[in-house]
Amino acid sequence: MKTKYIFLLLFIIPLLSFSAHKYYLSLTQIKYKSETKSVQIIINVFMDDIESALNKDYNIDLKLTTKKELKDNTVYFKRYLKEKLHFKIDGIAKEFTFIGKEYDGDLVYFYLEIAEINQFKTIEVENNILIEHFPQQQNLTKCKLGEKHKSMLLTKEENSAKFTH
Amino acid sequence: MKKLGILLISLAFVANSFAQKKEVQQGHTNQNKFKQLKDEFATPTDQRTASGAPGKNYTQQKVDYVMDIVLDDEKQKITGAETITYHNNSTDELAYLWLQLDQNMRAADSKTPDIETDNIPEKLSKAGFNKTFSKEAFDGGFKIMSVTNTDNSNLSYTINQTMMRINLPKPLASGATFKFNIKWWYNINNHRTDGGRSGFEHFDDGNNNYVIAQFFPRLCVYDNVEGWQNEQFWGRSEFALEFGDYTVSITIPDDHMLGATGVLKNESTVLSKKEQERLATAKKTFDNPVIIRTQEEAEKIEKGHSKKTKTWEFFAENVRDYAFATSRKFIWDAMAVNINGKTVMAYSLYSKEANPLYGDHSTRAVAQTLKTYSKYTFDYPYHKAISVDGQMGMEYPQICFNPGRPEADGTYTDRTKYRMIGVTIHEVGHNFFPMIVNSDERQWTWMDEGLNSYVQMLAMMDYEKGYPLSRGLPKNIVDYMNGDQSKIAPIMSKGDNVYSFGNNAYGKPATALWILRETIMGQELFDHAFRTYSQRWMFKHPSPEDFFRTMEDASGVDLDWFWRGWFYTTDVTDIGLKDVKKYYTTEGDDEVVFTEDASEGLGFSQKHKKYHYEITYNKPGGLVMPIIVEFTYKDGTKERKTYPAQIWRLNDNEVTKVFSSSKEIENIAIDPDLETADVDTSNNNWPQEKVDKFDKFKNKIKG
Repeated sequence: MKTKYIFLLLFIIPLLSFSAHKYYLSLTQIKYKSETKSVQIIINVFMDDIESALNKDYNIDLKLTTKKELKDNTVYFKRYLKEKLHFKIDGIAKEFTFIGKEYDGDLVYFYLEIAEINQFKTIEVENNILIEHFPQQQNLTKCKLGEKHKSMLLTKEENSAKFTH
Repeated sequence: MKKLGILLISLAFVANSFAQKKEVQQGHTNQNKFKQLKDEFATPTDQRTASGAPGKNYTQQKVDYVMDIVLDDEKQKITGAETITYHNNSTDELAYLWLQLDQNMRAADSKTPDIETDNIPEKLSKAGFNKTFSKEAFDGGFKIMSVTNTDNSNLSYTINQTMMRINLPKPLASGATFKFNIKWWYNINNHRTDGGRSGFEHFDDGNNNYVIAQFFPRLCVYDNVEGWQNEQFWGRSEFALEFGDYTVSITIPDDHMLGATGVLKNESTVLSKKEQERLATAKKTFDNPVIIRTQEEAEKIEKGHSKKTKTWEFFAENVRDYAFATSRKFIWDAMAVNINGKTVMAYSLYSKEANPLYGDHSTRAVAQTLKTYSKYTFDYPYHKAISVDGQMGMEYPQICFNPGRPEADGTYTDRTKYRMIGVTIHEVGHNFFPMIVNSDERQWTWMDEGLNSYVQMLAMMDYEKGYPLSRGLPKNIVDYMNGDQSKIAPIMSKGDNVYSFGNNAYGKPATALWILRETIMGQELFDHAFRTYSQRWMFKHPSPEDFFRTMEDASGVDLDWFWRGWFYTTDVTDIGLKDVKKYYTTEGDDEVVFTEDASEGLGFSQKHKKYHYEITYNKPGGLVMPIIVEFTYKDGTKERKTYPAQIWRLNDNEVTKVFSSSKEIENIAIDPDLETADVDTSNNNWPQEKVDKFDKFKNKIKG
């Protein structure tokens, strides 16, 4: 019966998908720029979802886009992304720099950069953004290497992608 | 002869080797993007015409219900008895009837969890773990007590998961009616912890808010498209239902406030004198909601727990379903809405936890929905529409359950406000699609969700100037359409089988309609066609073809290419500028000669009377769409030119077009207002833009 109970948890969310369907989708765009020798990453997530995840994980109350917005909250976004997002270039783990964030309607954009990257063959991404709190979360991950575009829809079951030059 | 023989053999050999070298061209079928949809569409009949209208022999079944429902608040249980009268208006003889048992989706033996894949999570919160691994399985599903004939003899039936077949004693002839009884009960789910499209919300003081639907065995649709629409209810793809009249009595604790589908028949027994007076005032008040049960009164009532009961009686004419909401916590406000001279009531029922958000916006959002939707479809034909603080988003005839509550201190963010208003408009809007334009949501989610999400945008814009629209705008569907193709389904797919449900069945079709109205057809032609479709199929069961055909038939705009691309494929829009050549002219005796100016950029090296540009547009995307071009002159003025999608009919990859002007051009931009959901805008400018979004942001940060 154990498995039956797992269903209960994992399928609460799907059964919550009502007629005004809320959808759980983030976008991670990865691009290698030879002129700056860096991998540039733009991520957008739904503000409500990221706020709720951060509030739970760090026991804070962000109140984004309100007058009471928690000050200096960038530190939490940075920490969250460092925990949930991992890159490997040619098999070697690489740290990213958090450039900044901006709000646009109901979305939050994050800008990340991995500097000093010369030529490489593969880039691997492990993307666990929002998956813990939203089992239905889909993290669309796109990569542009040269003229080559590739997309992978990452989920709880399949949380990493490998892109090749 | 021998020589001749050798000659013939060698000739044959030469001919043969020649044939081997020569490649024979292979033919192909018509792949033109503008090919008409004759292969995809069903053949028109005298029930569904080629124009997209119901035909002269169109028939539809009718099902009437008389129900007696009792809510047990102590045990959170519904007990019901119904008498169903089935009118076989079809030309067919029916050997059996099919009913839907939606509650069985949460029965212990439901197969819904079995078709979902799962895995062991890395970690769970303790509360989550305890809830998941030590909870008693919920004893859900209909408990059918009896299925009987009108003389109370047993009627044979067979249950197949969420479907029940009534085995008729003798086949039901065309034009005949069949009457039978069902008695049942079921345990109501807690929709806040276990999800669902109905259920109860429990409060610490022992109170429950009930939002009740799919609570009775109800008939499946029988039509000339599907036969019996008896596809299982897995939990996602919603309902296909017949119209009919409902006579319903609902017994609840006598201190509850209730809202339900239908006209209340015993107002004087269930409402206090004061409430009746306030309601009478509300029926004449068109500018502001009138509070019928105040928060103060509700707070007093919710402290008691009456054991006595009260029965509310309703009659609902020509509805496709039935639902109600009840709680002793409910505040009730009401406002009259003028729909072309007819008064319709907008109601809201909400607990104090939802106030002041609901008091501020709920009834006003209901009223706006009725006005805007009536303008773009048909006058709202029912007498009321109710929005309930149900903390979900789900629609039923004349009543819907909506999300959103303020913080404990009564404040709420703009995001909370707009989400609540947006969902309320959406759910009230469902009164039009599919409650009245009654498409089959079990099969075609987009037909009501997509159309409704589109009209929702118009109502939101009417609700408040500058309302932040999100879903439905072309630029907001780009991330989805440009995603991983292996995880994208065409809109013309069954709801249960698509990956990104919200984008597939809500966002993309809403965008498609928005684009038709704003960019392809124009508002006037689109609005007339959309209204024609809505009015043709009011209180009927349209199929996708009926929609596609009517939109063309009423507008005179060929749209097969648009339906094909947007609804039948997962193609994307990507139109780019490939090359620009500049020419000036010199006049000879009897001819004019064009000479290329080969200098860099769009500027000319000399002044001329007229500047000619030969522009090559390419189309990496599979969709054909109009080319919208904005020319910015050196003096800063702009000019627009739109080439219809048909420009791609003879070459799907690239086209060349000449643009001439007396002023020099500085910049050429394609789709400058992001109207076409172009997935790659990096090729939309000439000269090409070098700075991307990341660079722009980084520069901004640096200051």
